[in-house]
Amino acid sequence: MKVKKLFSLLLVSALSLSLMTGCGNKDSGASSDAGQTGDDAGQTSDDAGQTGDDAGQDDNSVPAGTEAEQTGDNAGQAAGNQYEGVELTMWSMWTSEEAQALVIKEAAAAFEEQTGAKINIEWKGREINNILTAALEAGEKFDIFEDDYRRIAQNYNKFTYDLTDMAKAIDYDSYSYPCLNNQVIEWAGNLNSIVEQPQVGGVFYDKDAFTAAGVTEEPGTWAEFMDACQKIKDSGVGPLALDSAYSDFTFYQHLVHQLGEEKLTELAANGGWSDSNAVKAAQAVIDLVNAGYLVDGAPDEFPSSQNKVGFGQAAMVVCANYVTAEVNKATGTEVNWGLFNYPAVDEGTDNAAAYAGANSLAITSYSENAQAAFDFITLLTTGEFDQKMADTAAQIPADSRNTAPASLSGTVETLLAADKPASWCSAINADENLKTSFKSIFNELYEGKYASGEDFCKALDNLY
Amino acid sequence: MRKNKSMIFWFCLPAVLSLLIMFVYPVCRTVLMSFFQVESVTSGVGEWRFNGLANYIKIFGSQTFRISMKNMLLIWLVGGVITLALAMLMAVVITSGIRGKKFFRAAIYMPNIISAVALATMWIQYIFNYDYGLLNSVVRLLGGDKVKWLGSDMKFWAMTAAFIFGSVGYYMLIYISGIEGIPQDLYEAATIDGAGQIKKFTRITMPLLTGVIRTSITFWSINTTSFFLWTKMFSPIDTEEYTIVPVVYLYDIVFGGKGVATRDAGAGAAVGVVLTLIIIAVYLIVNRLIKKSDLEY
Amino acid sequence: MNNINWKKELRLLPCYLIVCVWVVFTAIMIFWILAASLSTSREIFSGEVHKFATGFHWENYATAWRVQNVSLFFRNSLLYSVLSCVGVLAISAPAAYVLARWEFTGGRALRIGLVIAMSVPIIMIIMPIYSLAVRWGIKGWVLLVVLYILMRVPYTTIYLLDFFATLSRTYEEAAYIDGCSASKTFLKIMLPLVQPAIITVTIFNFMSVWNEFFMALVFTTNEDMTPVGVGLLNIINSMKYTGNYGGMFAAVIIVFLPTFLLYIFMSEKIIAGVTGGGVKG
Repeated sequence: MKVKKLFSLLLVSALSLSLMTGCGNKDSGASSDAGQTGDDAGQTSDDAGQTGDDAGQDDNSVPAGTEAEQTGDNAGQAAGNQYEGVELTMWSMWTSEEAQALVIKEAAAAFEEQTGAKINIEWKGREINNILTAALEAGEKFDIFEDDYRRIAQNYNKFTYDLTDMAKAIDYDSYSYPCLNNQVIEWAGNLNSIVEQPQVGGVFYDKDAFTAAGVTEEPGTWAEFMDACQKIKDSGVGPLALDSAYSDFTFYQHLVHQLGEEKLTELAANGGWSDSNAVKAAQAVIDLVNAGYLVDGAPDEFPSSQNKVGFGQAAMVVCANYVTAEVNKATGTEVNWGLFNYPAVDEGTDNAAAYAGANSLAITSYSENAQAAFDFITLLTTGEFDQKMADTAAQIPADSRNTAPASLSGTVETLLAADKPASWCSAINADENLKTSFKSIFNELYEGKYASGEDFCKALDNLY
Repeated sequence: MRKNKSMIFWFCLPAVLSLLIMFVYPVCRTVLMSFFQVESVTSGVGEWRFNGLANYIKIFGSQTFRISMKNMLLIWLVGGVITLALAMLMAVVITSGIRGKKFFRAAIYMPNIISAVALATMWIQYIFNYDYGLLNSVVRLLGGDKVKWLGSDMKFWAMTAAFIFGSVGYYMLIYISGIEGIPQDLYEAATIDGAGQIKKFTRITMPLLTGVIRTSITFWSINTTSFFLWTKMFSPIDTEEYTIVPVVYLYDIVFGGKGVATRDAGAGAAVGVVLTLIIIAVYLIVNRLIKKSDLEY
Repeated sequence: MNNINWKKELRLLPCYLIVCVWVVFTAIMIFWILAASLSTSREIFSGEVHKFATGFHWENYATAWRVQNVSLFFRNSLLYSVLSCVGVLAISAPAAYVLARWEFTGGRALRIGLVIAMSVPIIMIIMPIYSLAVRWGIKGWVLLVVLYILMRVPYTTIYLLDFFATLSRTYEEAAYIDGCSASKTFLKIMLPLVQPAIITVTIFNFMSVWNEFFMALVFTTNEDMTPVGVGLLNIINSMKYTGNYGGMFAAVIIVFLPTFLLYIFMSEKIIAGVTGGGVKG
């Protein structure tokens, strides 16, 4: 009897719970009406935005490019409190007191003052990439979010706002990096993110160590590279630093040069490494390892090996540009950094390829204030605030009219000149069931586990 | 005493509800989900497509999952034998009548109260460091060559060692309380009969502790199947083959790890079910093999 | 009997050796971290933390507390631990009481259910809860508090149940004769009687919640709700960008210290809690 009573009560409570959810749905239906009104507001502001943009465009003819934003700001002010009552929510990949976050806060305050909008920033930290998909699927209320541009283009594509028209209106192409934008469009079908922190990859080196070893020119070919390594080694410094976390990236550069990313993708998917030039690539690396060109302890646990550049014990490291800031800070030194592209390899298919990527900003497809959000993104990624971001966080400016900090000199030009960026190991990351095996085999290559290129490729082919 | 029905009902209701919400409903749903094709963990039942055992076939066909299972098995078996043996050793030592018993007991248990994130950081950044780490300092002192503790050969064992260090204290406490439950006169009688320490251990301590040992094995199994944090700490940038375990595999495919484009909540659910079955199997086997001691004391 | 029995101590020498090696190892590790937390990144990576060549860098602690947000993580963890310890008692204590006191239909089933729930792996639970939380829009710290409460219910109920069972019924009979209502008897008389058990189980719950990691990682969507474990992981991850390793170790010490101090003063109680729960299994 009691059991029955209990059960009926449970049933009732279960029912009421489901009713509550039902109500919840209805509620959200009601709020979507409100949303539409908001949309209208958005459209009005659209116009206002355009006026601002015109001002910006005129400004492009003025020689001092960095001043562009200044005038843009004025235009915003001229438009009055154009976004009065608009509330934007931004999900950031930083934590609230990091250098990047401080700049974002400052930019948000400036934007609020100029436009009357209100910006709420939620600091999500690095784990943001684990929560974004679910949050977007659930339609959580936020307008702007930050993540890797490739993830935005490929994983969140369905939930992002098409920024093509808005970007065209402010002539985004004129100051951004074409290679990154084209890549986004190729992946996503449209421009769905705005670059915030561009990255380039290659061989970062200590210029002073090169000079001390008598290496006068940046090596362009593999032979020159090996030559330079020998000279550096003779000068008593370890030539190449490598942390196991970047073993895959480092060899990937080699493979991309040797085979091209297209062929690499095909190999990674179907196997057949032994019958390809991957044998040659692996052999080259094995020779490098056997010649003792890796610094003592490499491949080491991040960041032990890369820090050796800061301690003057190593001369080069293959990574993306953030390595310079990391090493400088972790070792308390100002290394005289230089950058050259990963050397050209013999019989290479794509020797010009270089890694480039970005942390980018995107707007949710269901945002009610897309134009306001876009204007804020523009404010943050151009002119004054972009320069501040580049300086304080030691990053490459998103606005190519700005200047890169000294530790990254030359990176803006490299990025502007780049044709099509090589990805961050996308070919070997494509299959989640194989990627960890790839990574460990690549790492073992640098540990000297394979006697020859054939052995290495056999190990890879055994995975299929 | 009078039975107060309404009181019983209202006193039990919250507990019943929490059991239903937190355990019964999720377990049923996860089991169900493992037989369906479900991409996103948040998708409603309406979007599920039945696909029989395909999820199970998929995960067992996956190289990464098989490696993760192998790693977990090694942690369970090798780590388990070492941990429980060390814990037993410590327990026997501490109850042997040494001075400062309370201090040693507290000190050995201490790693358990430290946040495992902090503990793992200490191991990675200091103990195992190639250049200035504690282990390599000892190795060099003994005249050996520096060892890459976190290289591909050693990383798994390095992680397991760190995990063992963090776990011993807990099992030691369990054993100590078991040993202290054994009446002293048994040992005294044995001493009079001329039994040595080892004989006392094998003839008295071990037989009387079978129940406790059984419990500790079950606990250890549950702990190893939920192994997660140590892998995260030992492979901070991305999941690695040397350290991956099933829960990390599950986390990556359900919530989308770094660079994982396709998510598969159905396969994730299948991983969960497999792990649960393993726990149940271990529990049954251990219960069959190690009979609870009938000895009363 | 104040004399040291040297013969006995000598016989125990191997025993001392074993525990001492273990304890010294632990101590070295903690001292290194302590030293590292007072050093610059450069000193840490050149392996010279014990020299303090540039003095003690106390500012690492200030940075960790403020810039790395450890203070916020701390507040969150404290909030989770305290609220869930209280919440779980509110649910478990009444249930444990009636389960221990009366035979009733469903009581046995409930008891078995609770025991089984104690060994359900968390990964079997996490996915459906995640989708529920997302679909119902429950988020923020409330979600984690609720989950922690629900998660600790089985263990706490079973633990308290055994203690209620040992209490004599004369208390309730006396209270009944005095006209005290059943629920009042429970609150005013029975609960205080199991106070030692409540303290023990609360300490254990507190530590479990404080050190919980997996659920926190999955359900934390915001800095404002990040507990120390996940927060520390975030700090370590963001080292890639900030490079302040002294600050990172300072954060490790800050996270470690309160639990450590608490442990020094309460190790007996904590150990009692662990063994109590452990042996019962």
